[in-house]
Amino acid sequence: MTPVVRLLEIAKVYRLGKVEVPALRGVSLEIARGEFVAIMGPSGSGKSTLMNLIGCLDRPTAGTYVLDGQDVSRMSDDELADVRNGRIGFIFQIFNLLPRLPALKNVEMPMVYAGVGRAERRVRAVEALAQVGLGHRLQHASPELSGGEQQRVAIARALVNRPAILLADEPTGNLDSRSGEGILAIFQELNTAGMTIAMVTHDREIAEHAARILTLRDGRLVRDERVERPRRAREIIAAAP
Amino acid sequence: MAAGWRGLLGLGEVLGVAVEALRANTLRSILTTLGVIIGVAAVISLVSVGQTARNSVVGEFASLGPDLLWVLPGKAKEGSFGAAEEGRLTLTYEDAQVLAAQGDAITGVAPVLQTQIQITAAARRYTTTIVGTTPEILHVRTLSLFAGRFLTDADLARRKRVAVLGTSLARALYRNPAAAVGRRFILGGRAVEVVGVLASEGSILGLDLDDRAYVPFTAAQQIFNLDYATFFFVKAADPAAVPRAKREVERILLRQHRGEEDFTVLTQSQLLRSLDAILRILTVALSSIAGISLVVGGIGIMNIMLVSVSERTREIGIRKAIGARRSTILTQFLIEAVAISLVGGFLGMLFGLTSSWLISSRLFQAVPTVATIVPIVALAFSFSVAVGIIFGVYPAYRASLLNPVEALRYE
Repeated sequence: MTPVVRLLEIAKVYRLGKVEVPALRGVSLEIARGEFVAIMGPSGSGKSTLMNLIGCLDRPTAGTYVLDGQDVSRMSDDELADVRNGRIGFIFQIFNLLPRLPALKNVEMPMVYAGVGRAERRVRAVEALAQVGLGHRLQHASPELSGGEQQRVAIARALVNRPAILLADEPTGNLDSRSGEGILAIFQELNTAGMTIAMVTHDREIAEHAARILTLRDGRLVRDERVERPRRAREIIAAAP
Repeated sequence: MAAGWRGLLGLGEVLGVAVEALRANTLRSILTTLGVIIGVAAVISLVSVGQTARNSVVGEFASLGPDLLWVLPGKAKEGSFGAAEEGRLTLTYEDAQVLAAQGDAITGVAPVLQTQIQITAAARRYTTTIVGTTPEILHVRTLSLFAGRFLTDADLARRKRVAVLGTSLARALYRNPAAAVGRRFILGGRAVEVVGVLASEGSILGLDLDDRAYVPFTAAQQIFNLDYATFFFVKAADPAAVPRAKREVERILLRQHRGEEDFTVLTQSQLLRSLDAILRILTVALSSIAGISLVVGGIGIMNIMLVSVSERTREIGIRKAIGARRSTILTQFLIEAVAISLVGGFLGMLFGLTSSWLISSRLFQAVPTVATIVPIVALAFSFSVAVGIIFGVYPAYRASLLNPVEALRYE
């Protein structure tokens, strides 16, 4: 079976004026369908850059990236926009919802760009919000939602176009541990149902919710380990006082 | 999935986003719109007032009769409006008599010796126009009497100090035009008796044609101590005979003046053409000035859209991250700019039409016609859409170029 993500000698160099700053120095890796992978590393290790490249928000300076069987490393801006729209679900540390719009409209947005009709949009958005446990808060805008709820709206938005992979950049970074654990529980449930997930974190405990941990240092992949017994988010929530 | 098709499908959605964004900054949107409102209102009111002025002035001149000619002293240059050599009087009472006697294509000649002067009636002073002329003018200018009688050949022969008043003058001097007949006023230190009052003629170019007194040409010569006529009215046999009448007048007068062409014959169509040209230039000049305010309004839109793009950098990043293409972002911001200018255009049109209505009815006793309004409404809408697009493109283009990673990092 073809891997969902296949990176071959990916390099990214940022240009700051006349200085060239290498952020990634040749990273090769594969993420298979149905995997839950955590990407770790100290700040400046290049993990966010890697995440942006996997998420097609940016293009590599060198190397090849095959997403879901398709080479996306040399695509045009519009082609990348379509890939982000249809095959990638992105979840950010600071949620990145449109604050003026109610949850339902936020979740409908990717489908607007995909050209999905109004009625179908509505049905799928309601379904996605119900899936993350927010079926009762459809019309609430971000300011009326807690951090955990906002992140769950963001997950619903990421899922709604049935992406090939879910990418999460420090998804629990702005949440208290209980809400964060709730988000991780959703990830684990989605993963059990077959969703491929890649998550960036700097926290070992959070990374251990995944079945595999990749570690970056100075723009290179330095470790690729299996987690023998991933932490079970539901059990942690249940055990909490 | 076809690219263009996808962009179009979101149009309703994009419109919603535009309205939402404009509502979020109500005061700012209103102020921005104001620039366009003022611009469009100014353009519309000036264009339509100008148009109405042209229609009404041209109509007024046309109503003088298509068979009318003017003979002015002095030789006019080609294409000029009146006689070039002003102050040089060359037309005599005798010229008028010869014209009337010899012209075949001419049915009437009325010499006019005209001056603005102060008269006194019932111890009150009043400045009006005294028109020294012959009884023929009644026929030449198709005037009609309201009360009393008109000037007669006997009045002319005896230089009688009698006057026929226009209705406005009669009302100003004696309150009731019907009661004016038989009254007297003082002109140049001597009494003049009112023998008749004319029916109203209206006004032309805002000049009240009823504010004047007709006196015998010979009496005017004596009073003003002038021999020459200010100009002649000549009436052609019918509108088709105007060119022939013109040639005839020129031939006869040339002979009268011993070959010296020191006069100008103007036909009504010549006058109308020059007038129309002048008014058109005026309208274009005024509207161009108004157009500048529209450009200023457009710059206001551009300014506000640039602010909006930088304020919403993060929103643009989010939209791009979840799959908005460059064209989608471009369309979104462009539609916002066009929405501002369209609302401004619509309100400006309402203000513009209202003010042009008021101005036109005051100045020309005429309101803009449907034929005037329809192209103006089309003009306003195309102007405002054009302003929105022209001044919205650059900010929208800037928004569409934003890199999603950098846009998302923006605080």
